[in-house]
Amino acid sequence: MESKEFIKKLKAYALKSSAIVAFILLWEAAPHLGLIDPIFIPPPSIIAAKIYQLLLSGELLVHTVASLERVFLGFIIALAVALPLGFLIGGWFKTFETAVDPLLQILGQANPFTLFPVFMALLGIGELSKIGIIYWVCQWPVLFNTVSGIKSVDPVYIKVGRSMGLTKFNLFKKVLLPAALPAVFTGIRMSAVFAFFMLIGAEMIGAHSGLGFLIIQSEAVFNMPKMYAAIVSVALLGIAINYVMLKLERRAMSWKEDVAV
Amino acid sequence: MAKIESVNVKKIFKIKKGGNQYDELPALGGVDLKIEQGEFMVIVGPSGCGKSTFLDLVSGLTLPDSGTITIDGKPVTGPGLDRAIVFQQNALFPWRTTLENVEFGLESTNPDRDNRREIALDYLSLVGLSGYHNHYPHQLSGGMKQRVSIARALALNPDIMLMDEPLAALDAQTREFLQRDILRISKESHKTVLFITHSIDEAVFLGDKVAVMSARPGVIKEILDIPLTAEQRAEDDVVATKEFVQSRLILWKLLKEEVVKVQESQIRFQNQAVAQSPARGIGNGLINAVRVLTKI
Repeated sequence: MESKEFIKKLKAYALKSSAIVAFILLWEAAPHLGLIDPIFIPPPSIIAAKIYQLLLSGELLVHTVASLERVFLGFIIALAVALPLGFLIGGWFKTFETAVDPLLQILGQANPFTLFPVFMALLGIGELSKIGIIYWVCQWPVLFNTVSGIKSVDPVYIKVGRSMGLTKFNLFKKVLLPAALPAVFTGIRMSAVFAFFMLIGAEMIGAHSGLGFLIIQSEAVFNMPKMYAAIVSVALLGIAINYVMLKLERRAMSWKEDVAV
Repeated sequence: MAKIESVNVKKIFKIKKGGNQYDELPALGGVDLKIEQGEFMVIVGPSGCGKSTFLDLVSGLTLPDSGTITIDGKPVTGPGLDRAIVFQQNALFPWRTTLENVEFGLESTNPDRDNRREIALDYLSLVGLSGYHNHYPHQLSGGMKQRVSIARALALNPDIMLMDEPLAALDAQTREFLQRDILRISKESHKTVLFITHSIDEAVFLGDKVAVMSARPGVIKEILDIPLTAEQRAEDDVVATKEFVQSRLILWKLLKEEVVKVQESQIRFQNQAVAQSPARGIGNGLINAVRVLTKI
């Protein structure tokens, strides 16, 4: 019985990874077959070897840490600003919301890449402008999702809370907050993804460290394997961050019904 | 003194028409009702007659526009722990286990954690759900959820249970079992119950008295004493007794008139809506425009 189960699982994994494996095999074979120029697109084996080499030399780690530091700071500041603001706007101040919502919508729609020069002009080309732009990008999904999460809490939950004589603070803590949590988490997860996009962009424009810098700098000196090594590292890091966020979300909302999508 | 007394209670809803204009929708048109201590009072009425609005007023979640509701002679000014509500459905907090749901109301009154847990477990077993304390609501059936809702309300040990169509969303068999449990628990714990339903059978089976509400704006049209004894209600063939059948018939006749009124008013409303259709609106607009122009 158990071996049957095992084989079943193995088959499922094989099916799931078949496209990835095929893609890598094709990529690996293409330069050897003369289909693509290995100077511009080196095969995965060379990229993997380069990543390994960069890991050993410690170079990759230095740049990854530099990138993660920026993401983390910008992200945390965004949470610290957008979460309380979202709760305040969504939960308490109806008139305030009506007044500021249009402005917030416009600001949130502004393409952050176009604002990057503004941030550089205001905060210089150092760390501050990069963290600033990441903060800027991160705050919108958190803010909008928090506001709509609070506003769409089922009124019957609020009725239950009020009928049991909860104070306003307790009503917020015990009813509104947990009820809005799924929406809030969606915002946080979106933010994490945006933060990472923006980071690489910011590092490509003006930086002396970070994975984005590594990509641009390798391209400048025409070190293609190194450039691809950095690109793949960015992709892997993005997957890892998304994975961690999903795990956190599951943990915070273990009560949620699992619905297959 | 009556436990709950409602004197000429009126409630008008304001419905936004756009801009600063409001339509007034009278929901309750002067409700007079007395409920004695320990009495099981059922309100039946056509849909939209204001039954639930009245229950909200007794709970204190909303306040009447005129008239007074008193409990033990004291006017209701807001929600209180002497009254607990059981809502129609899906009012359990999905992020709390059944035990935590039942503990919810106790958290603000009872600082002793272990004691809270004990009380909650007791009430869960009272509604027949011992062993389910670690389940989340989505893991329970509709009937079980309503049992938890009832346990949550009972855990506060309120004098009054306000039940807003608590069984309306359940299937017929589950409903019958729960009706019997509600009857048993309310009598054993000597609660005063105000129960809203649109099912006549449910009203006759549960109620010591059944109040029939008129179509909107709701008033109490008539109050019927149900002559069934506790022994009769406990029997499986209670629905075949003379008392049950007669009460049912009287209630149906009273209610039928009101349901017909609702239907008629709906037809009127539809006709009105047709009369005020956009095409007509544009026509009026044109006429007005011509009038303005000719004045100039």
